[in-house]
Amino acid sequence: MAVSERFRLDGQVVLLTGAGRGLGRAMALAFSDAGARIAGAARTEHQLAETASMVKARGGDAISIVTDVSDSDAIERMVARTLDRFGRVDVLVNNAGGGADGDGSPLTQLTDQQWRNGIELNLSSQMYCARAVLPTMTEQGGGVIINVASGFGLRGGRDNWMYVSAKAGVVNLTRSLAVTYGPLGIRTNCIAPGIFPHTPQALERWRGGRYIPVGRAGVAWEMGPLAVFLASNAAAGINGETIAQDGGGLAAIGPTGWAPRVSLTEPL
Amino acid sequence: MSDFVPTPNPDQPDDPFNLRGRVALVLGAGDPLGRAAAVALAESGADVAVSSLRGGPREIVRVQSVANEIWSLGRRNLALELDATDESAVDTALAQVESELGGLDILVNAADLVAAAPIEALRAEDWHQLLAANLLAPASVARAAAQAMKRRGFGRIINVVSILAARGVAHTSAYAAAHAGVLAITRTLSQEWARDGITVNALQVGVYDGQHGLGDSAEAAQQLARMLPAKELVDPRDVGAAVVALAADSGFVTGETIAIDGAASARV
Repeated sequence: MAVSERFRLDGQVVLLTGAGRGLGRAMALAFSDAGARIAGAARTEHQLAETASMVKARGGDAISIVTDVSDSDAIERMVARTLDRFGRVDVLVNNAGGGADGDGSPLTQLTDQQWRNGIELNLSSQMYCARAVLPTMTEQGGGVIINVASGFGLRGGRDNWMYVSAKAGVVNLTRSLAVTYGPLGIRTNCIAPGIFPHTPQALERWRGGRYIPVGRAGVAWEMGPLAVFLASNAAAGINGETIAQDGGGLAAIGPTGWAPRVSLTEPL
Repeated sequence: MSDFVPTPNPDQPDDPFNLRGRVALVLGAGDPLGRAAAVALAESGADVAVSSLRGGPREIVRVQSVANEIWSLGRRNLALELDATDESAVDTALAQVESELGGLDILVNAADLVAAAPIEALRAEDWHQLLAANLLAPASVARAAAQAMKRRGFGRIINVVSILAARGVAHTSAYAAAHAGVLAITRTLSQEWARDGITVNALQVGVYDGQHGLGDSAEAAQQLARMLPAKELVDPRDVGAAVVALAADSGFVTGETIAIDGAASARV
């Protein structure tokens, strides 16, 4: 098989949470362009419908499933609905997640409930979705799970508690899924996106990305090809891995552009 | 550091893994991983120069046969008889690539000189030889390649290393240290050239099919494979596919190391 064919997903079914906007929508379009059918899930119906119509406008096939990923019963229904329509699930993308009440609070003021809600939204949700698709993938003889973590899953953040803990959990959940289900033909990998502002205001808040090593923020579509690669046969040897897509942020130690100016020939 | 800040297109390209019009150089193309990278790049549309690592007659024959494979795929090609530990020879070779194929877009460093010996048996000259081939050569070729890449504001550098860069295996100290050094300069150079449109990433490869030294007999290789989570050795073609994914990346993945090891790194 020529390598370009290995990146194709023709005929496959991709179940993608958080599909209504941002990175999720961008990945949905990329998966569709690679030949996959899309089952998009999210909380907000009109955003999902817009993603589905964008997929269809490009000649793809998509259904929308309104789902709250913190609710494990709703997750089971989401998978059942996908199977009902498409008959299989080849790829699960655990993309839903985000900010929660209590983010930015000093830890001493954080309530138990705020903690639980943040962990539910960003970690438990990914376990619920994986648990719900594994019987189908096992029966099919294989599948791919892609978890979306964050650079904050690999580093700390000031007054950032639930999000960093949950995303670090996602990184290691990825490893255990890989080790446990790899022998059954199910690969699990993780993408850790850096700064991908969804609005001009958010881009401004990150100073246009000027403190990111490459000097700019990410653009949502850039995550699509990486997700397609991981979902495809081209990534057959990659399992349990987390890939940062962050403009070089995690490779650095601080603000970019900083470099020591020390000569090897002149005394200090 | 230049002021150049690469801004990606607002929309995903139609064919995100197509490398038509790109010029690539693969160092160490006579070995299995370098060969797989060169073939995958050519299959994706790139014109490919292939180079030896140290330039002995047997290595040159293997490199020449990879050049023939690229020719048979309908791509322009160039076989370089290079001792990449010789700095001025590297500069001359890079100039030859530019004059014969055009400006260099993609560099794959697949330097892989294997030697297995307990540290007591390694003399200083053994260390020098292993560090020169596995660390200094890729650093020198990256240095030379980046000169041209900076002028054109685009470059994709992909360093291929062994899993021994991150995990300990007895009797591989100099080789492992050199490859760990390559991971360090992957991060360093990702920062050094972050504003020049050049990304620098690494692929960290598990024990692969056809690897020298670590299990020369098929029986030993199979015995080793049984202990791995995936129960099989890495297929070099999977490394080729990942090289294509990184070569085609939009530029927001940099300073990153991706393990291709069938979940070996995911399990302690």
